[in-house]
Amino acid sequence: MLLPKFDFYEPKTSEEACNIINEYGLKAKPIAGGTDLLVNMKHKLLSPAALVSLSEIAEFNKLEISDNAVKIGSCFTIFDIAESAKIEKKLSALCAGARALGTPLIRNLATIGGNLGSARPAADIPPSLIAYNAKAVLKSASGERTVLLDKFFKGPGFTEMQPNEILTEIIIDIPNERYGAGYINLGVRKAQDCNIVNAASFISLDDSNGVIHSARIVMGCVGPTHLRANLAEDILIGNKPSEKLLEQAAKSAEAECKPIDDFRGSATYKKAMIGVLTKRTLDIAVKEASLR
Amino acid sequence: MKQIINLTINDKKYEVAVDANLTLLDLLRYQLGLTGAKKGCELGDCGACAVIMDGKPVNSCLVLAVSANGKDITTIEGLEDENGLHPLQQSFVEKGAIQCGFCTSGMILSGKTLLDKNPNPTDKEVRSAISGNLCRCTGYQKIIEAVQSVDSDI
Repeated sequence: MLLPKFDFYEPKTSEEACNIINEYGLKAKPIAGGTDLLVNMKHKLLSPAALVSLSEIAEFNKLEISDNAVKIGSCFTIFDIAESAKIEKKLSALCAGARALGTPLIRNLATIGGNLGSARPAADIPPSLIAYNAKAVLKSASGERTVLLDKFFKGPGFTEMQPNEILTEIIIDIPNERYGAGYINLGVRKAQDCNIVNAASFISLDDSNGVIHSARIVMGCVGPTHLRANLAEDILIGNKPSEKLLEQAAKSAEAECKPIDDFRGSATYKKAMIGVLTKRTLDIAVKEASLR
Repeated sequence: MKQIINLTINDKKYEVAVDANLTLLDLLRYQLGLTGAKKGCELGDCGACAVIMDGKPVNSCLVLAVSANGKDITTIEGLEDENGLHPLQQSFVEKGAIQCGFCTSGMILSGKTLLDKNPNPTDKEVRSAISGNLCRCTGYQKIIEAVQSVDSDI
């Protein structure tokens, strides 16, 4: 299984990378872990004239954690996220997603930026990041812009990112109030499996009265991109978390998702499982927030 | 156009000229004659091509040879030393953990990486560590026993 021919660049700075990509126009592709791109190239689905490796750009491999934000470079590997005690402390649902992705052999190569850029509706990393209200920083030769991940995905394989842009880092602002989040994926196997459905839930609690201040529920594999369960979120906001309230929100999410029948599962089954996973991830989120 | 890369494989330094579209697996097998890493699915699913790169097992079919520039690689050929087989290799032999042998090199390298960090892994930890290595003979139980029975004092 041969890879098509291409020119290979390994720039040391993001400016250099942007300039090379700019020169090639639509014909260049950035490569990080390569676990998705090289498979597509072997299948001859893609045949870029140039690959621009982002792995040697120091700023893309950094992790910055402060009291109010976590910044993760786009080439940070899934293994490093899964194993990071520092990230686990602040963003446990992201680590849960990282541990669920692929296999150890894949996690050692795959990167956070790649999992977002490939934009698969069943991907393990986007749900929790959307739930945490994360932002992606996109850079091109003409400048830099920040996009909310909730607005980043446009369809299977399509994102807000333009061909001349590269994803440099993910920024997650840490809420001032107590917060928690959960992520669960459902597949036939534990490893190396495409999810049947996945879900992430985030809540934050008002410190004075314990009511839910903000809530975000993200459902995967049930639409062309990850979907937010807006009505379920409205049910939660302004109320104190209780078993009944969370169940009500989960039922709402179940009704809001729009899965299709396919060989992985029937739409009816996927809908039912979205209800179950929403409830379970909300349980995790509430527990984490109340312990924080 | 070929590019010159420098890398260390099994403690030996190599300087080789490679095409950009050559995978690390093909470099090992066809240019350097190290055929211990096997060519299975070539898509990162089976783990037969696993090698240890900078301390972590990876699918060498999904690593470009040019990206392996400056890296430290261990293949199955690098485990045996003057005293004979690596204890994990010996354990695979003794426990009958090798059937057709195609997955064995990947299984051993994934198992070795686990044992380096965690000399006494639980059943679940072993299963998780080898979850990217598929055995079509389905001899998983003996493989798990082999990983767990390595004498941690060695």
